Amino acid sequence: MSFLGYIRSDDSVGTRNYVLVIPQGIIAKAVCDFVAGAKTILTVDHGSGRTANDREQIARVLIGLGRNPNVASVIVHAASPGVGYPELCAERLADEIAAGGKRVELLDPAKDGGTYGAITKGIQLARRMVHEASKLRREKVGDDGLCIGVKCGYSDTTSGIAGNPAVGYLYDRIVAGGGTALFGETTEIIGAEQALARRAATPEVAEKILRAVTVREDQAKATGQDIRTVNPVPSNIKGGISSLEEKSLGAIHKAGSAPIQGVLKYAERPTRKGLYFVDNWMGHLSIFAGYAAAGANVVLFQLGGGGVAGRTLLEGSPSVVAPFLWASANPNTYATATDSIDFYSGTVIEGSETPEEAGERLYRTVIDVASGTLTRSETLHYTEPIDMYLEEPRF
Amino acid sequence: MQPKRALIMHPDDNVATAVEEIAAGEEVAVPSAGNFLTLTATEAIPFGFKLALREIPQGEIIRKYGETIGLATTVIAKGAMVHIHNLEGTRARGDLERGSER
Repeated sequence: MSFLGYIRSDDSVGTRNYVLVIPQGIIAKAVCDFVAGAKTILTVDHGSGRTANDREQIARVLIGLGRNPNVASVIVHAASPGVGYPELCAERLADEIAAGGKRVELLDPAKDGGTYGAITKGIQLARRMVHEASKLRREKVGDDGLCIGVKCGYSDTTSGIAGNPAVGYLYDRIVAGGGTALFGETTEIIGAEQALARRAATPEVAEKILRAVTVREDQAKATGQDIRTVNPVPSNIKGGISSLEEKSLGAIHKAGSAPIQGVLKYAERPTRKGLYFVDNWMGHLSIFAGYAAAGANVVLFQLGGGGVAGRTLLEGSPSVVAPFLWASANPNTYATATDSIDFYSGTVIEGSETPEEAGERLYRTVIDVASGTLTRSETLHYTEPIDMYLEEPRF
Repeated sequence: MQPKRALIMHPDDNVATAVEEIAAGEEVAVPSAGNFLTLTATEAIPFGFKLALREIPQGEIIRKYGETIGLATTVIAKGAMVHIHNLEGTRARGDLERGSER
């Protein structure tokens, strides 16, 4: 199959066409409030007081979002508290984004007439950049232009028996078409890691998967706490999941059956196409930003049902530059939040569709979204902040 | 009355997942190898929850998706609900780790 996307100078393919203003802050916000089509991010992590590893992780997120194929051009400003660190200085961020081949402009209050001056200059630049971006037309491209990231959440047993298998079909379809597919949530492969390691493309990749689980499981044990009071989370247990192992074994269905090409860090870009495991954390404010920074041009939240009672509106996307889809296989969730859900696979439980048929329908939904159809959450202004996945203490 | 539906994910499983609300005493049909396995629910099994396909002795491995999802903490009767009250996960258990250090 094929979709209609924006071909970038590095041959990556955008499903959207934004001008991005980063990092977060009043300059970015003011520019984006003034200029239609310009976007920024929301996050409290700016790097000040963070270790070198965590600062590099923040830089990887910012650079990665800038390089995301859904971004036509980027404005980087130098008014963030973290800019004094070498990892996070505005010039470094701008240079590495520009290395991907797109236009990057710098704003520096110290050189551009203070904050007000930088905002004025930013507005003028952003207007021209948005106008320039709008001249680009979507073109027909193959599935190798797709890069998708997924998480499953509020999982219940419908996730494991219908929702995730449909996503797994989608993943196999995208990988078979030459595209890239990312899955992760290391805690939630504990108990299923052997099954995943058997699918590793090389023994080294298998070793990395097992190692990621060992590190995470040792961290869990070191807390001295019963993992069952942490994860499965209360909504999982309410939905019928009885143990972390059961959650994990259901969760890995979303990764389909393709060979796993590698293990990536949070926000790390894959070097090749195919299926990758990302050693990340499940939080939805964290994981989707990481996928987008790794280059995902579409992201998907496969939703169970526990804990969503009464929520007729599922709030918007934290991923900023990648369109965000809600999928669910839970009939009650779908009935409650119909307006918010982009794809429903409860048909598999009801017996009217096989997981493959539902997966094919999901694939076509993703192709439509990649070609420009808005996701339900894209029809809202509301955007949630990014909780960057940082692992080291603050000082 | 039409039997209620539950699904098994793998032939090695000793539990099935209810895909509709099952009341105590109702008959349950589980598709298996082109046929149906039938049993009686000994208690109410809510949508999405598991029931035992046969008697499971205490300490026995509970299997779903053909893999271990935990151990039975008590003997579980055929047709009874299997959940956190009688199934114990064994992975990433910091509380057990602490116990073994004592």
